[in-house]
Amino acid sequence: MKDSSRWILHMDMDAFFAAVEQRDHLEYAGKPLIVGAPPDQRGIVSTCSYEARRFGVHSAMPSRTAGKLCPNGIFVPPDMDKYREESRLIMNILSDFSPAIEPLSIDEAFLDVTQVRSLLGEPLEIARRIKQRIREERRLTASIGVAPNKFLAKLASDLEKPDGLVVITEENKIAILAPLPASRLWGVGQVTQKNLAANGLKTIGDIQNASLHYLRAVLGNGADFLHKLAWGIDERELELSWAAKSVGSEHTFPKDTLDLSLVKQILLSQAGEVAGELRRKNVAARTVSLKLRYADFTTLTRQTTLAQPTQDEVTLYDQVLTLLSRENLRERKIRLIGLSASNLTQPNFQLDLFDQASNKRQQAAKAVDAIRSKLGHQSIQRLPD
Amino acid sequence: MKLHFNKEKFLDGLQQVQSVVGARSTVPVLSNALITVQKNGVFLMATDLDLAVRCPVEAQVLEEGATTLPAKRLFTIVRELAFSEVSMEVNDKNVATIESGGSHFKIHGLPETEFPRLPKLADAKSFTIEQKILRDALKKTAYAMSMDDGRFVLNAILLTIKEDKLTSVATDGRRLALSEYDLDLPKGTQGELLLPSKTVAEVQKLIKDKGMVTISFTENQVCFDMEGTQLYSKLVDGTYPNYRQVIPSETKERISLEREVFSQALHRASLLANEKNPIVRFEFTKNNLCITAHAPDVGESRERLAINYKGADISIGFNPHYVLDVMQNLENDEVFLELSDEMSPGVFKINAPFLYVIMPMRINTP
Repeated sequence: MKDSSRWILHMDMDAFFAAVEQRDHLEYAGKPLIVGAPPDQRGIVSTCSYEARRFGVHSAMPSRTAGKLCPNGIFVPPDMDKYREESRLIMNILSDFSPAIEPLSIDEAFLDVTQVRSLLGEPLEIARRIKQRIREERRLTASIGVAPNKFLAKLASDLEKPDGLVVITEENKIAILAPLPASRLWGVGQVTQKNLAANGLKTIGDIQNASLHYLRAVLGNGADFLHKLAWGIDERELELSWAAKSVGSEHTFPKDTLDLSLVKQILLSQAGEVAGELRRKNVAARTVSLKLRYADFTTLTRQTTLAQPTQDEVTLYDQVLTLLSRENLRERKIRLIGLSASNLTQPNFQLDLFDQASNKRQQAAKAVDAIRSKLGHQSIQRLPD
Repeated sequence: MKLHFNKEKFLDGLQQVQSVVGARSTVPVLSNALITVQKNGVFLMATDLDLAVRCPVEAQVLEEGATTLPAKRLFTIVRELAFSEVSMEVNDKNVATIESGGSHFKIHGLPETEFPRLPKLADAKSFTIEQKILRDALKKTAYAMSMDDGRFVLNAILLTIKEDKLTSVATDGRRLALSEYDLDLPKGTQGELLLPSKTVAEVQKLIKDKGMVTISFTENQVCFDMEGTQLYSKLVDGTYPNYRQVIPSETKERISLEREVFSQALHRASLLANEKNPIVRFEFTKNNLCITAHAPDVGESRERLAINYKGADISIGFNPHYVLDVMQNLENDEVFLELSDEMSPGVFKINAPFLYVIMPMRINTP
């Protein structure tokens, strides 16, 4: 492997939730397994096994559709606590190879191995050893992409899934990119893709060959960035944040609803859930966001930033209610509601001179967490006002 | 209307009124200063409707009259003039001609009839104190006012006149500053004034170290008369929280600190406090104070100070800005910090009737 300025690995677990369930339940092995909402209810597929994918089932598909495509599929509800713990163990394995990790989600992470090559050997060799340890210690498979930057590494990990290991180098990157559809470029969604195709730019190769001048006329501001990506150039550094970027919870209603008290009830339990998660992660949030999806699938998010970071469910709930109250909810049925907390920081709290109640709530929250860790989340709930 | 004036003296007056002028007022005349020229004197005035400042300027009156001229523009023109002798003449269309040496300016004004009248303070109570007392009271407390719009009643200083004492209090809910002064007032003088933060800032600009100030007030208005210069303001309408209850009646430890040395060490330590949510930890052990800060992914700092301390070990977290604020607004060489434990408020004191209560930050350890 020729020396390059950077070497980035992108690790992506294969059908993560489904693989964990198949490992833990021998009876699911080799069967179409679908983790997500049951097929007779609303909600979506969060992950499915490769056996189920053969039937055309994929993540984020409504469970009802999945049930029709794959009538013999085994549907199981997700067990997030288990996956989080599994994720932690896998990230621990990664951290044995390099301290420079950027977790992207529960089952995906970037790893910068540029600095550790002299200690641990070539990037391809490091990737092989990571895959081997995940297989032996966790009995799961991961796909890894090895490349000089984040964009190419993520692309590479996806090329030979499952259990893939693909290296993209400075030498072969242009050739690998050229035949791929433009939608594989980072940031190209359906709208941009249509726009590109309408202007004769269907593959990444088309974009490579287009003049920057033409591309700017088609895309405007994003043209320069996309042109660079098409040529395999991506200078983004890993974001080595010390904690997750946000904590959130979403709920799809069994039936689209106009019932505000029901919506509030869900938000209250989400506030409790998110606050608990913040405390569990030992972080506090300064930004609170509300996500609303209407029956017609139009989706909006609204957010507010607090003067003081919080882990307090009452504060989260009050803020999200304020956001909700600014929306006109009379006429449009709601399909999905979500609350998330971001802008995370250390949980150091300025105590208040006058609001002794908030100081006391912090003590109470600790007690609630203790009960929930023993008896489960449902064991103690806040009542709506 | 016609007058001659000295550039520097007129500029002084304009300076006093111009900061009141609304920057983006929807009422055009509020961008102007009112100039009143009478036999007995020349007065400048500006207002943003919440606040008005009126001050006398020395000038030679040639012809009486009144007009309003764009305050900022007038200020810039007068400031840039090359000679001290200036003449101004305003015609009946409110066009002012300003001449000085070889300079000649014409600026368009608006009729004085459009300018808001000064409020009349009916049945006002009033008292007179030394300007330096009010100046000190505001300096020692103003920085603790809330800047957050959420609790508007805290965007103010509470001035209480009672039992021959003037008390100035400000708090943002996390720290509280209180300064008190003995006065010799006529019997029965008392009142409570909630001064809006903008008013506090304007008074601080106008007030001097010598001379007297007469404070007249009603239920919802106040006038500060600083030997000719007057500031009128609305008062905040609201109930100030019962601040007495948050002042600890007793604390366990009392620590003497050299203000300069302590603030410099704290300032250095806070260079590595998290910017979004700053916190420094103070660890008091026998004859030793250790101030530490750390910001994830950035680094950490530690400052050690030898102090005279024999009490129990205490480790407590504070927002460094809150501590530096009080240090910067005191002049005493020695300050005292009174503490009980890591969750109870700390109190800074000096050898004068002043105190600064500050709530700690809870440091979360996983």
